[in-house]
Amino acid sequence: MNWLRRWKTRILIFAAVVGPGFITANVDNDAGGITTYSQAGAQFGYMLLWTMIPTTLALIVVQEMASRMGAVTGKGLSDLIREEFGFRITFLMMLGLVITNFGNVLAEFSGIALSLELFGVPKYISVPVCAVIVWLMVVKGTYKSVEKIFLVASFIYVTYIVAGLIARPEWKLALVATVKPPELSVFAHSAYLYMVIGVVGTTIAPWMQFYLQASIVEKGITPRQYGASRLDVISGCVFTDIVAWFIIVACAATLFAHGMFEIRNGADAAQALKPLAGNYAYILFTVGLFNASLFAASVLPISTAYAVCEGLGLESGVGKKFSEAPFFYWLYTALIAVGAGVILIPNVPLIQITVLSQVVNGITLPFVLIFMLLLINKKELMGSYTNSRFFNWVAWATTVVMIGLTLAWFWTLHQG
Amino acid sequence: MLGIALSELLGAPVLDPGGRTQGRVREVAVCPQADTARVCGLIVKTKQGDRLLSPEGLAEISGGAVRANAPAEEWAPFTSSEGMLLLGRDLLDQQIIDVHGRKVVRVNDLDFHQEQVNHHLVLKVGDVDVGARGAVRRLLKGIVPAGALHALTQKLPPRVIPWEFVDLIETDPARRVKLKIEHERLSRLHPADIADIVEDLAPAEREAVFETLDEQVAADALEEVDPKLQVSIVQSLDSDRAADIVEEMGPDAAADLLADLSKEQSDKILEEMEPAEREEISELLEFKENTAAGRMTTDYLALAPTATVNDAIEALRKFEGGIEGVSTIFLVDKDNKPVGAVPLASLVLASSGTPLSTLAPGPPISCLAGTREKEVAELFDKYNLLMLPVVDGQGVLTGVITADDVISLLRSKL
Repeated sequence: MNWLRRWKTRILIFAAVVGPGFITANVDNDAGGITTYSQAGAQFGYMLLWTMIPTTLALIVVQEMASRMGAVTGKGLSDLIREEFGFRITFLMMLGLVITNFGNVLAEFSGIALSLELFGVPKYISVPVCAVIVWLMVVKGTYKSVEKIFLVASFIYVTYIVAGLIARPEWKLALVATVKPPELSVFAHSAYLYMVIGVVGTTIAPWMQFYLQASIVEKGITPRQYGASRLDVISGCVFTDIVAWFIIVACAATLFAHGMFEIRNGADAAQALKPLAGNYAYILFTVGLFNASLFAASVLPISTAYAVCEGLGLESGVGKKFSEAPFFYWLYTALIAVGAGVILIPNVPLIQITVLSQVVNGITLPFVLIFMLLLINKKELMGSYTNSRFFNWVAWATTVVMIGLTLAWFWTLHQG
Repeated sequence: MLGIALSELLGAPVLDPGGRTQGRVREVAVCPQADTARVCGLIVKTKQGDRLLSPEGLAEISGGAVRANAPAEEWAPFTSSEGMLLLGRDLLDQQIIDVHGRKVVRVNDLDFHQEQVNHHLVLKVGDVDVGARGAVRRLLKGIVPAGALHALTQKLPPRVIPWEFVDLIETDPARRVKLKIEHERLSRLHPADIADIVEDLAPAEREAVFETLDEQVAADALEEVDPKLQVSIVQSLDSDRAADIVEEMGPDAAADLLADLSKEQSDKILEEMEPAEREEISELLEFKENTAAGRMTTDYLALAPTATVNDAIEALRKFEGGIEGVSTIFLVDKDNKPVGAVPLASLVLASSGTPLSTLAPGPPISCLAGTREKEVAELFDKYNLLMLPVVDGQGVLTGVITADDVISLLRSKL
């Protein structure tokens, strides 16, 4: 009985804090992420699956720090940056974040346009309709109901797992490739290296840290409930990368196996799947892409508005009225309206926009990670919740590797 | 130049009477024990280490430089910042409570007033800048020439809070005492406004405010805070302080709060309370939360039917509960069963010797302890009630429900 009650309490505590970690990790598989994973599978088969385990670890380490800071300090990341590093640095950081996230919003709306075009809906209808839905959902809903919608949306990613199953991959080969990296000589191919960097680079984005920490604070999670919150973060990261694994596997088993190496985006991948894996896999892949794009398009603008207003000391929060937090709502609205508007321009170069957004992501990320590490090791801020030495070691290593990979990635871009 | 901003002062060179640079301003200090607004010294980084330039040694500030009356060797070495509010560290970029605007804001800059007294300069904190002017100045300092920047920022509309309406938040209790942070101005706000402000703060800061506020004010404010936050605030306080605050809350609100805590925590708080209050709340804790009894309070006035208006007014004077509990006075027989209800208004209009029984129109509307919330709300609506007596199975009065609780209940369902 006692045992049962203890488990009941544990499950109840988990249910009370679940959300932020799970949602943030899942939004990570956005239109850009799906494109990268599809390309990885189509171009190199199972040869990139080994990256999934280390990237999952890196993701967990970084996300865990953000949620711990939120739970312990009760303040958002931009609040902390402002209080500890001053106005100018905060301003530049926020400017970078707005530019980065605007690029990401563009990428999401182009994902919406591409996926719905496969179902025969022209972008001139799909994009404005989705923009309005996104705007209303966040502005007119309370945080609680919005969070529930997001949580449900997270589970639509299961479509990718189903699509992976339908594709009939060679399980044994895939599992071995997950734990065993290929021979060193493979890394000498610049195309392969480029893809490794792409897969790792798409995993940790600057906006995630701001969003996660802010939602932990908004949810009122305290150090007391932190254990359960950590479980939320870890399960979110693991689920996200299982989905990514299945995307790679699905494309490897079909596109790579049939010699169709070149795909440009997630919609391309879905279309190429049709003759190889059948109609269902095609539909599931397309639905997955649409959901991912819509989901990320809902989260990114709001997370940006939160972070910027907090950092600059302006009123913010979906719980506030428009008149109470005008800048917050204007920024949020502008990101969506302009983001959707740009996609509607005929012949707009969608792919270049996506690449550019990832470049800015890459430039901003090291700063965010370094700020996080400096903050989380401040005793007066975190008390007994600072990083342990081991954790610090892992986190700094992650940061250095991320910076190194980003630099290497720029270099490959430069090489063209 | 009349006003000067903190961000202009920080880092400014300090010159001796001969015009030689002695060092740069590192911090501006206010000693609240002596004067809450007057600057009690500039901490200057010199070649011989940090020194404290006292106000008497300050000659003037002009052209972006500070002029001292004596060379650096004659200033006192700076040893400790104890009892000092360091404006750069403690205020810039930090959150403060704007008592006038009733909200939490972030400081962009500070403006000083200068005044020449007996050959030295007196600096006083004038306003806290929370608008674009301070932001632009901070952003462009050192990038745009000082003169041009000053001219530019003067064109921006200021958004400032006068220093006397600023309440600081300090999470270290010892420092709070030394800096005389008492939240005296905050405690004069309406409890609902205090609750809104507190909800905007981070947990540690919330705790700091609730540790400092007067018990009665803290209790009134806590009642208005979102129930989930109430729990986390009470959990953060030590049980002694929590008990002091919970004691001052209305018994119904206190019982609701304790019901949300773990058994262990609520027992600990109950233990620390006065016996009378403890018993009252323990009784209320027995009831289910979504019934009439779960919503009721035991703070009410009940008199014998033979009592006069004079008696009632006397009882009102001695009444210790909240003001929402006096809008109706109940009449009870010797078995404590309600036989009448006198609205406060009738009491005021009647002459002092009138027996209360003549003011009660008939037996009052009442409900049973187990009545559902929805029915309670319907009774309030149907009979336009301000208070509703709750009776047990024998018809004995056990408590009352007040209209404010019904409004909260209805709002939570909207």
